[in-house]
Amino acid sequence: MDITWGVSASHHLPWHWLIAVYLFLAGVSGGAFLTAALTDMYSKDHNIRIIRTGAYIAPVSIIIGLVLLVFDLGRPLHFWKLLINVNAGSVMSIGVFIISIFSGLAAVYGGIVWLASNSGKRITKGVHAAADEIAATGKGIQSLRKPVAILGSLFAVGTATYTGFLLSAVTTNGLWHVPFLGIQAVPFLPILFLVSAMSAGLAATLIGAGKSEITIYKKIDLVFIVLELILLAILYASIKSVFFSGTMGTIFWLGVVAIGLVVPFFLTVYSLAKHKSVVVPVSAMIVVGGLCLRFFVVYSGQMFK
Amino acid sequence: MAKQYAMIVQVAKCIGCQACTVACKFQNEVPDGQYRTKTPAIGPKGTYPNLSLFFEKEACQMCKNAPCVKVCPTRASYKNEDGVVLVDVDKCVGCKYCMTACPYDARFTNAKTGAVDKCSFCYEIRVGNGQKPACVSTCVGGALEFGNINDSNSDAAKLLAKYKAQVRKPEFGTIPNVYYIYEGVK
Ligand code: SF4
Ligand code: SF4
Ligand code: SF4
Repeated sequence: MDITWGVSASHHLPWHWLIAVYLFLAGVSGGAFLTAALTDMYSKDHNIRIIRTGAYIAPVSIIIGLVLLVFDLGRPLHFWKLLINVNAGSVMSIGVFIISIFSGLAAVYGGIVWLASNSGKRITKGVHAAADEIAATGKGIQSLRKPVAILGSLFAVGTATYTGFLLSAVTTNGLWHVPFLGIQAVPFLPILFLVSAMSAGLAATLIGAGKSEITIYKKIDLVFIVLELILLAILYASIKSVFFSGTMGTIFWLGVVAIGLVVPFFLTVYSLAKHKSVVVPVSAMIVVGGLCLRFFVVYSGQMFK
Repeated sequence: MAKQYAMIVQVAKCIGCQACTVACKFQNEVPDGQYRTKTPAIGPKGTYPNLSLFFEKEACQMCKNAPCVKVCPTRASYKNEDGVVLVDVDKCVGCKYCMTACPYDARFTNAKTGAVDKCSFCYEIRVGNGQKPACVSTCVGGALEFGNINDSNSDAAKLLAKYKAQVRKPEFGTIPNVYYIYEGVK
């Protein structure tokens, strides 16, 4: 019975799909940034397609995510009040600043990478003074590339972890607040969301890798998949089974576990063994799995508290 | 000693008339389809002659340890000097974080303002003028009492001293200031 004595007893959930997509995009952004920046700084191959794809995905997805977030506010035009009224005890208040700084760094890094690829073209193409000048300023900016990559990487980890802390700080929620292996001081979700963000961000970046050599990235992805499977097994053992019931169970078992992890695991092992490329479908599945994970956690947590 | 305002609900006296629901709607101009308080029926349960039916007034429980206040990023949700949890509409951005944290489903996004809204014990409009909250003043069954429970002479404190009172969902450690007395409920 929905109506109890004149008063609707049904209540809708405060946070819906916009928040799930926002948490997902923030994770993808952080993972893509790290993939690009670490390749840029440490990889001997210096795969430029990976660097470029990651460096562009990062600012685009975090900015789309932020637009969604503002759109979801009851008063979107008042969003700036989040910047002037600070509550140091509120994870969201701290997160606003982490995400803002990360967005700025991701945009700058994307710009630097873009400038580098374009000024390079001009040098090979033209010899006239104007092009050289552009190339020269481009070089000046390039000296910022490493510091921005380092700082951005720290904030990328911060952003991905924050999406977990945002939910785990809700102490009255049985799913969101679940501790890691029963250790009360260590919340579970920041760890899970960090691993999932790295995996989904890496996968999204690999879609843009084209035909370049990416064996090492596939191996890293395998590690993330295995880690996430272990984490999900721990989660399953730590919370009430009602969280996995109904539609939420379908999203979890089919979307998160099967499509997002198990199938990509076997396909990646197969492609490594046979040297066949199945990167695009595998990466797409991992990304879909990451999205399903955010939907599952956001909705199931609120439905069953 | 600082004040601590609290509401006492004597469940057995409530006849489910919804006068409180209506009084709140007009006192606080709550938009259509939204409620700061409601008094749903619990039951009927069982079969005749062992039927049970009672009404339980729901609203913000004015938690001493309020999770909504803790998570609010703008400090729009706050607890004032008299132990009342309030929302500063001007500061609220409508992020709904507080709604996810409240274990009592006491909050909603006001359809008119976009800010979060909930029971305020009528703090600004009535209690400040020495009146009781609209629901308490209007209650047909005499089921509601309100007052400073740190003052042992208040009617509210006397009720708490006389009967065994309970709070809703104590397992969350929120320490509510809305008390329920089930004495006489079958
Ligand atoms: S009942 Fe909910 S809204 Fe009221 S003080 Fe407690 S947590 Fe906050
Ligand atoms: S909706 Fe308003 S009162 Fe609630 S947490 Fe957000 S800013 Fe604070
Ligand atoms: S006005 Fe009093 S008797 Fe009527 S429903 Fe509300 S609490 Fe119960």
